[in-house]
Amino acid sequence: MDGIPGPDEFRAQARSWLRTVAPARATHQEWGRGDDSVAVFENWTEDEERAHTERTRAWERTRHDQGWGALSWPAEYGGRELPAHYEQLYRAEESAFDVPRRTEIFPVTQQLVAPALRIWGTPEQKRRLLRPLLRTDELACQLFSETEAGSDLAAVRTRAVREDDGWRLNGHKIWTSGARVATWGVAVCRTDPEVPKHTGITVFLVRMDAPGVTVRPIRQMTGGSSFNEVYLDDVFVPDTDRLGPVGEGWRVALTVLAAERLDSGGLGLDNADRALDLARHLPRPLNDGERQQAADLFVRALVQRLIAVRVTSALAAGRAPGAEASVGKLHATATMRATTDLVQQLLGPRLAADTGEWGTFAWTEHLLGAPGYRIAGGSDEIQRNILAERVLRLPKEPKGAGR
Amino acid sequence: MFRLDADPALLRETEEQRQLRSVLREFLAQTCGPEEVRKQAGSPRGHDEVLWHRLAGEIGVHGLAVPEEYGGAGGTFAELAVAMEETGRVLCPAPLLSTVVLAGHTLLDSGDRRACARWLPGIADGTLTATVAGFPQPGGVTAERGAGGWVLRGGADFVPDGAGADLLLVVARAPDGERLFACEPDPATCERTARRVLDPTRRQALVRFRGAPAEPVGEPQRAPDTVAGVLDAARAALAAEHVGGSAHALDAVLAHVGQRTQFGRPIGSFQAVKHRLADLLVEVEGARSAAAYASACLAGRRTDELPVAASAAAVACTAAYRLATAEYVQLHGGIGFTWEHPAHLYLRRARADEALFGTGDDHRLRLAGLLGLTGRIG
Ligand SMILES: Cc1cc2nc3c(=O)[nH]c(=O)nc-3n(C[C@H](O)[C@H](O)[C@H](O)COP(=O)(O)OP(=O)(O)OC[C@H]3O[C@@H](n4cnc5c(N)ncnc54)[C@H](O)[C@@H]3O)c2cc1C
Repeated sequence: MDGIPGPDEFRAQARSWLRTVAPARATHQEWGRGDDSVAVFENWTEDEERAHTERTRAWERTRHDQGWGALSWPAEYGGRELPAHYEQLYRAEESAFDVPRRTEIFPVTQQLVAPALRIWGTPEQKRRLLRPLLRTDELACQLFSETEAGSDLAAVRTRAVREDDGWRLNGHKIWTSGARVATWGVAVCRTDPEVPKHTGITVFLVRMDAPGVTVRPIRQMTGGSSFNEVYLDDVFVPDTDRLGPVGEGWRVALTVLAAERLDSGGLGLDNADRALDLARHLPRPLNDGERQQAADLFVRALVQRLIAVRVTSALAAGRAPGAEASVGKLHATATMRATTDLVQQLLGPRLAADTGEWGTFAWTEHLLGAPGYRIAGGSDEIQRNILAERVLRLPKEPKGAGR
Repeated sequence: MFRLDADPALLRETEEQRQLRSVLREFLAQTCGPEEVRKQAGSPRGHDEVLWHRLAGEIGVHGLAVPEEYGGAGGTFAELAVAMEETGRVLCPAPLLSTVVLAGHTLLDSGDRRACARWLPGIADGTLTATVAGFPQPGGVTAERGAGGWVLRGGADFVPDGAGADLLLVVARAPDGERLFACEPDPATCERTARRVLDPTRRQALVRFRGAPAEPVGEPQRAPDTVAGVLDAARAALAAEHVGGSAHALDAVLAHVGQRTQFGRPIGSFQAVKHRLADLLVEVEGARSAAAYASACLAGRRTDELPVAASAAAVACTAAYRLATAEYVQLHGGIGFTWEHPAHLYLRRARADEALFGTGDDHRLRLAGLLGLTGRIG
């Protein structure tokens, strides 16, 4: 494929390719048909999670192998070096087709871990891992949080001690999304407990099937178990699986977290669109207050998309995006909340009791899942601290006792 | 169904726009500081005519989006939006919104080449101030054809810069329906009473026509479409102004909370304050995005998208300006509540502007209609 197709041409190409590999989405043709799930986190058994992950993987491989994955990556990693926003163009087309919904592990692997590996990985690691990650042959989860290190991630205690040609890991990670299906974990570990907390950290790539790794699902408020706790008991990691220099792990983790903030800008948009469709199709006229509430959600979602366009615009022009790159996640969690509020108003009792009608009680999964994203990936409060301190340059939080 | 076309070039500021912004910011910092604004807020005409001419002559603000054949620079609305944002940032009390946006766009959108040739060059070079009457607030003006041509009778209230403008473009009821007329007001047949206003940097007047001579502008049937288009352009312009005003408020508060100490710490180190400013930043960035999109729709003549974009910008930008001006006062404490402090001038602007082309809730209702967010009717 030589040259860069224009956006319209690209979209048309994407559409015609998609038609050859996937059926159209029923809800796009007719309201009231097809899958009515609006789950933010899936309520699956382990077997269902595995089966769905395999279906999604198969789709990601098809995409990758036929030149529609890794769009902005260089050819050596299976990409086409298209401008970053072509990914959004592609997604917009794909949303009209019935393809497997990506659970968290997929963006974590493709949008968070792969780019961090491209920045911090050795040439050997990039050769070995980038393509399998982009193709989702390998799936990576984030072994970041611990019971005593949540918002204050730099307080991690999981120890990594040097041993011959590798490291011995011991510790307990928690809230790990997708750990049951992941093949790799990106573990933030303490390698030097004697120095100030941010400087004694190193990041490792841990095989999830390595001896000593135990995954236990945690049931969350939605009823399902999309996150887990992970025990690391004397797990051996070869030094070739260390990501970034020893003692520089905090910067590696920040790279992942920054990508997560950026990636979060698109959260909640699909369900906001669904809620707006509900406002169109509800079998009664909306009163003025409800119309205003629906229009307000429309504006929120539009603004969230426009912010994302500004971010890509800056990136495409070779500039570092400014404040717009950091506000996206707070916009996204507010959109999710506003979606819940609108649906609550429109559905009334059908949100509280299941009448079996299409597209009604299913919204409880959004209602119960949405609060998770105000906590995951840096809570709303931590996002505000980041905006206040890094963008607005207000004074830092006073430090408490401890390191 | 409305779908955003995600081409990022749409929202990217061009090099010329960046330059215009920095030239204007510097120029206005020297010529239109808080003292000057306060002085003009108390003056009879409401703005400094020397500054008005310099803006037109030295920077060419008035003619930015006027075609070259009518004496303008032939730019797009996106350049004009930069000027609105920068003048909004300092509350520049020049009647740009009325003259350049409302009247200028009414002439252009009317499709009346003769009227454009007659008045647009004066608007572009700053020698003519102009406004509209009979919209956005509906008026009670009628037009009849007398012996010596058309004359207007009746009144229009809340006319922006109505007392001072040299030219009035009036929507009036003619025997064959609503039409646009141009009227150069003469005290003998047009009585103009300045209203006491909430926002002294943007004047309003009651205008009474008593057989005032006027000329029709544009084709008879075209007035409603012209008015609708002009209103959306005005909403986009006002949205840009609100982004400027909100950004100023945020900057001013940041400067204050960084140097004011209480309890032995800068007040900007209290998390309650930091988080509110973070929330304000979120709103302002959202408003900036929505305003840029509305301008881009005008600049790129994406007329299908414009009504939605303009109302969405109105929703996002009025909300941001409300919040920004409330925080501007609040986070300055007692000093923020004084007459001497400029915060109240911004708060006045934010609230008075909402009465011009619709509050956020008015626009939400309009959007619901445009987008079919109404449930099943009937
Ligand atoms: C659905 C979900 C998925 C997750 N997936 C993963 C994953 O895949 N991998 C992983 O490593 N982790 C994951 N997490 C964990 C997540 O990153 C942490 O829960 C989060 O960082 C908060 O840490 P915590 O739970 O210890 O809460 P705490 O840090 O104890 O926070 C509790 C409350 O205090 C507030 N707070 C804390 N510090 C401050 C401060 N300085 N200023 C103001 N308020 C503050 C917080 O905002 C929060 O409201 C996930 C969490 C959720 C809910």
